[in-house]
Amino acid sequence: MSFIYIALNTFREAVRDKFLYLLMGFALLLILVARAVGWVSAGLDNKVTTDLGLFAIWLFSALVSILIGTGMIYKEIDKRTLYTILSKPIARWEFVLGKYIGLLLTSTVSLVGLSLAFLIYLKALGSPIDWAILQAIVLTFFEIVMVTALAILFSSASTPILSAIFTFMLFAVGQLTQWLVDFSTVVKTGSALTTRLLDGVYLLLPNLNNFNIRQQAVHATSLGKTFAIPPDQMLAAILYSLSYTAAVLLLAVLVFRRRNF
Amino acid sequence: MPSTADATPALKMSGLRMIYNPGIFRRKKVALEGLDLEVPAGSTYGFLGQNGAGKTTTIKILVALQYATSGRAWIRGTDIRDNAARSQVGFMPENPYFYEYLTAAETLDFYAQLSGVPKNARRKRTDELLELFGLTHAKDVPTREFSKGMRQRVGLAQAILHDPPVVILDEPMSGLDPLGRRDVRNVILSLRDKGTTVFFSSHVLGDVADICDRVCVLHQGQKISEGPITSLLSGRVLEVDLSATGIPAAGVPGVPEIARRAWHDGVLYHVLVDNEELAQKAKALIEGAGGTLRRFVPHVESLEEYFVRVTGAAGAKRVEGEGAIAAPSSTKLPAQTAESEKGGAA
Repeated sequence: MSFIYIALNTFREAVRDKFLYLLMGFALLLILVARAVGWVSAGLDNKVTTDLGLFAIWLFSALVSILIGTGMIYKEIDKRTLYTILSKPIARWEFVLGKYIGLLLTSTVSLVGLSLAFLIYLKALGSPIDWAILQAIVLTFFEIVMVTALAILFSSASTPILSAIFTFMLFAVGQLTQWLVDFSTVVKTGSALTTRLLDGVYLLLPNLNNFNIRQQAVHATSLGKTFAIPPDQMLAAILYSLSYTAAVLLLAVLVFRRRNF
Repeated sequence: MPSTADATPALKMSGLRMIYNPGIFRRKKVALEGLDLEVPAGSTYGFLGQNGAGKTTTIKILVALQYATSGRAWIRGTDIRDNAARSQVGFMPENPYFYEYLTAAETLDFYAQLSGVPKNARRKRTDELLELFGLTHAKDVPTREFSKGMRQRVGLAQAILHDPPVVILDEPMSGLDPLGRRDVRNVILSLRDKGTTVFFSSHVLGDVADICDRVCVLHQGQKISEGPITSLLSGRVLEVDLSATGIPAAGVPGVPEIARRAWHDGVLYHVLVDNEELAQKAKALIEGAGGTLRRFVPHVESLEEYFVRVTGAAGAKRVEGEGAIAAPSSTKLPAQTAESEKGGAA
């Protein structure tokens, strides 16, 4: 149960850091200016506002995870706060899990806060709010679940700068992973080895494209459709997120478990 | 309440060996070379050694911050690989540091949670410790605003929060002013009075001599001396300092020949000799010359002098053995125990 204490403490420390509010401030600013961009897009102001708002929620929630998370465990080692924690009767996996949950809690609060602000703003503007928009926000959350795990993995093994670079790279590459599937399909007629290689790389890299339904949500809302994607597709994306996260966290625990401090 | 009569050692190490492997192109470093050590329950134990002797490595292994390359260790009979071993120990690292945004009260409450202090007792216990360590006025101040001495006190408080039977402190007096050192000493003494085993490393040998009943001296990863301080020091006289009045400025014939140093400061005649036998001869010569002895002080070996002597001797043996780091098993130094020390003195 010690991981709960570590999680709550991690969350408490993160919410007392001004950096979190700086990031959230930028996100709110982007949501607000979305309307201004909408005005110059003749006839598309609602669509542009919704699109940019969802984009701001996604980007800044990911930034909270990456920028705070990648230095999280390293900072504990560097400042030796870890010494007094690991010398207590807790297992190392509890420490990693606690850090992960604490960081995820921070990102979730940020995401929920931004989403509420966004929805209130949409309501005030008279823009339609459908389940499709909520679907996009929920899938953003499950993308953050994965990105947070990656940040913790790299943080448990490397310096904050390297961790941030690696996590950003995977975050960026993860948006394009679908391309590998498409490419694999194209080359299926060619070398079997190439196809297997591409399939292997696809399995290893996070497919964050699974969670990007922002365009569909905006489109569905403008057409008056209830859902952006069918519920079964959404469930599959959620299960993928949870499985990938479990695997990444397991790896983080394995890396962290044998380290000497 | 821990019992001092407990036969199970508070700490036991058997063949602890630690090799740091910094990478392919860099030489391996042997930090510990098969350390065997037993710390009796209820003792106040000083763990001594020069910088790099392996003290911190040993302590980190005991509290699971590092994994020994080989060997085993137990805390009150529980293998250190078992998490339960750490519920019996309180640990303060050298120069402890805490979460900057937490206040002193929040910091202690957090550690109380991790130490398994029941929820209904946490508040009372943290308040008690804040008062004990003179931090009540700073309970709502973030620890980032704390001085080094205050952080050290928080470090000690978090180590004893759950009233552990064994307390391990790494350089608890490091960098503290005299008042801070006195506070730490008082805490260690009060723990000793309660029967808690205190195992600590320190370079402040005067304090170690005052508060410890046993010490172990580590040198380049090996135990070179271990035992009760009273036995190790054994009252060996290093020199005798004599002073007398009624002696002319020219001094006393025969004294300079037996003294290490003899001089007249205009009032007193001072003589420094190597042992008590020579001191008795000097005394007889001074009194024979009509002088009156005002001072006769034998200087027995202090812990610091003992430490310098044994580490110096071990260093010399190492130089003779050459390559001990590269091939540790072939040049292992025999550990000097209180018993062998007594034998040597005899």
